[in-house]
Amino acid sequence: MDQKDSIRPGDLEEDRLERSRRIGWLDVDKIERSRCVVVGAGALGNELVKNLVLSGFRDILLIDMDHVVRSNLNRCVFFRDEDADVKAMKAEVVAKRAAELNPEARFGSHVGRVEELDWKTFKEYDLVFGCLDNVSARLHVNSHSYYAGVPFIDGGTDGFSGKVHVVLPPSTPCIQCSMNRSHFKVLEKRYSCTGADVVFHERKLAAEITTTSIIAAVQVREGLKVLSGQKERCIKNVMFYNGLLGTSEEYELAIDPSCPNHPDRS
Amino acid sequence: MKLKIRNAETGGTVDMELEADNTVQEIIEGAASFWNKEEGAYVIRKGKKLLRGQQTVTEAGISDNDELELIPDPEGGA
Repeated sequence: MDQKDSIRPGDLEEDRLERSRRIGWLDVDKIERSRCVVVGAGALGNELVKNLVLSGFRDILLIDMDHVVRSNLNRCVFFRDEDADVKAMKAEVVAKRAAELNPEARFGSHVGRVEELDWKTFKEYDLVFGCLDNVSARLHVNSHSYYAGVPFIDGGTDGFSGKVHVVLPPSTPCIQCSMNRSHFKVLEKRYSCTGADVVFHERKLAAEITTTSIIAAVQVREGLKVLSGQKERCIKNVMFYNGLLGTSEEYELAIDPSCPNHPDRS
Repeated sequence: MKLKIRNAETGGTVDMELEADNTVQEIIEGAASFWNKEEGAYVIRKGKKLLRGQQTVTEAGISDNDELELIPDPEGGA
């Protein structure tokens, strides 16, 4: 931070991030300069963006293909009834309402599928946050961010369960390394073929705000560590949260030598 | 060999008999099926490590009387 020539009483209270700056290891200036992508502007995306903006992030790209529906309103802090009435696009609503938290923050929004974006898009950013609801999109973001060399912090929830997976290329295992046949069965069900056409099955998962809040908060905290030069303190590699028992555990994962995202390990 | 699989959601357990060339995926499918968890994705942990699906029992270092845990892998977030 630049040294000021003079100070005034009460100056400290004029700095929106003054309390954050009191955390010694937190590199607030770097956080303010960073650029991040949030893929998914639903429940996790809402909570995560709220936390990002309050933490000092000022340059955020939001990606989501969907519009607001009333059943989102039990867990999405930025959505309102009127957004559901007019079928407002989630990414645009989050961008608009999050800007009210800090007018100095800049938001971009991509209303569409994340599969429309290639690795070059991710390369322009310092962090990618996954707030998705399906295996297919996760695999796309995972492979493209890994190839771009950008840390990917993925969250997932199902009722009172949640997880956070921290991927730090090129050293850590990626999301695909953690997947097995059960994940690909879920993927196949999503894109099942009837013979005439491909049917899109969207499994409706239980979701509520307390688990969503916790998982999004952990994602942002991991992002703060990455940007503040504290990668060695990040989750290695996956944290599972059980809200019913009030427990969380970290588990290690090895790079899968057959995973296409690690060609040098095969 | 015989080992115990724990259901992370309920705490319930089931014994499973395995050959050395069985895979972790087969363990996941067997346990998920036993607990009627056909839908959804799961992972298995041994101690503090998540096991890769393609690994065999031998490759994963699974021994007689080990306890593994079946954990749901939550995919939601929208």
